[in-house]
Amino acid sequence: MSIVIAGRTLGLLALVVIVGSILYYMQQAYSGKIPNLRRLQAVDAIEEIMGRCVEMGRPAWYLMDNTNMTSPSVLAPTVAAFQILAYTARMAARLGATFFVPVTQGLAYSIANDIVEEAYKAEGKPEDFDPLGTVMYLPDGADRMYIINNLWSQKVAGVFFLGSWYHKAVIFTEAAASVGALTLGGTDTTHNIPFLVAICDYSIIGEELYALGAYVSQDPTQTSSLAGQDIGKYIALILILVGSILATVGFDISGMFAW
Amino acid sequence: MSDRLYKIQLPVYLTALFIILSVVEHFFPMPGVVTNFNVTMRSFVTVVSAAAFMLGIIFLTISHAKTITEQKSGWYYNLFYIAALLITIAFGLMGVRNESFLFIYDNMTAPIGAALYSLTAFYITSAAFRVFRARNWNAAILLVCGFIVLTMLIPIGAILLPPVVPIGEWLRSFPSSAGFRGMIMGTSLGVMGLAVRVLTGRQKDHLGIREERMGGE
Repeated sequence: MSIVIAGRTLGLLALVVIVGSILYYMQQAYSGKIPNLRRLQAVDAIEEIMGRCVEMGRPAWYLMDNTNMTSPSVLAPTVAAFQILAYTARMAARLGATFFVPVTQGLAYSIANDIVEEAYKAEGKPEDFDPLGTVMYLPDGADRMYIINNLWSQKVAGVFFLGSWYHKAVIFTEAAASVGALTLGGTDTTHNIPFLVAICDYSIIGEELYALGAYVSQDPTQTSSLAGQDIGKYIALILILVGSILATVGFDISGMFAW
Repeated sequence: MSDRLYKIQLPVYLTALFIILSVVEHFFPMPGVVTNFNVTMRSFVTVVSAAAFMLGIIFLTISHAKTITEQKSGWYYNLFYIAALLITIAFGLMGVRNESFLFIYDNMTAPIGAALYSLTAFYITSAAFRVFRARNWNAAILLVCGFIVLTMLIPIGAILLPPVVPIGEWLRSFPSSAGFRGMIMGTSLGVMGLAVRVLTGRQKDHLGIREERMGGE
């Protein structure tokens, strides 16, 4: 009997290398060597959107769609969206923008509420935080009508669509675009990235969401984990290049990885 | 034992244990007892979710009842919620195959869900009008590709314009798949990074725990 289940050795090797890289960079970060992250255009877009809202005297909204944190595929973008929320809420508090965060999941609601409240306190404006109105729980399903209706009635000037987005991406982004709101969209759900990219004024694609979260939070754990993930990307790039060349010259490698 | 051990360390250790067990089971042949343990643990997800659902119903009902007793504005909507909840629970307890319960599901719950979901159709149409404008080269490429793929997918499209079928298939099979796979790779690496952070106890947001981190704005 083999030690590893047949056909999974390469996957195990890749896992060991990538996890090892992430752990290595995390260790480096805790000893003071934090990797540099490129400044994304979205960081400036956050400031621009918030500034526009203040100038026009209209609210800024921060929407996250699916925040069910028990699902691993939703947890990663939700955590990134929370980090960006902390940055955005501080900017809203600093500039004096009216900020609104509707959340459709209980655990995420309590975390978002803490984040926004802390942000207002950190900017020395705790009185601007409305415990009943700044972050609001909306039952999933009822949120569609509430959000569409209020986007129109409040003439929202800026909307952030960040996190794990599903079919509501089209509904809300289009509604926001119709009222003339400046929008920033970003998700890692591949089938909804096109909608956010096409409709939003500014967009971040896939894992840029994690990078933006790490950049604005300046959290060494997140930053170092991104550096480790980059090693995985380099490996994937090399394998794609080698595979493409071998496939082009007619060399069949499909049977080589059955171990 | 300290409060911190119960509320923070124990959940982190348990999460790490279950991650390791799942990974080990995926790559290495394991004795039946380990596999069965993993299956049981996975079924616990359903049990815990159901318990959380019950808690949610109880707290939501208390909140609605409070609004009714205080006669706040729109209190009759809250009354409607409680009436709908009680009627559905009553019929549901008679059995999920009960005719009245199925009537509620088939004629109220399902159509309401479908109606909400169908909003997408209207918004996607107006979004298409907004997006498919040749404002620059990128938008023009999107417009042409979108036109080809949409024409290929409608039943009469292939009859009116036969060349759209091979071009559309090529667009979906090569540039589109290549882009999507790239995005999936990036996202998967991100999830791996998250798993390592959760495994090492550096990320606890999934437990509802936020601790002050180094740095920050």
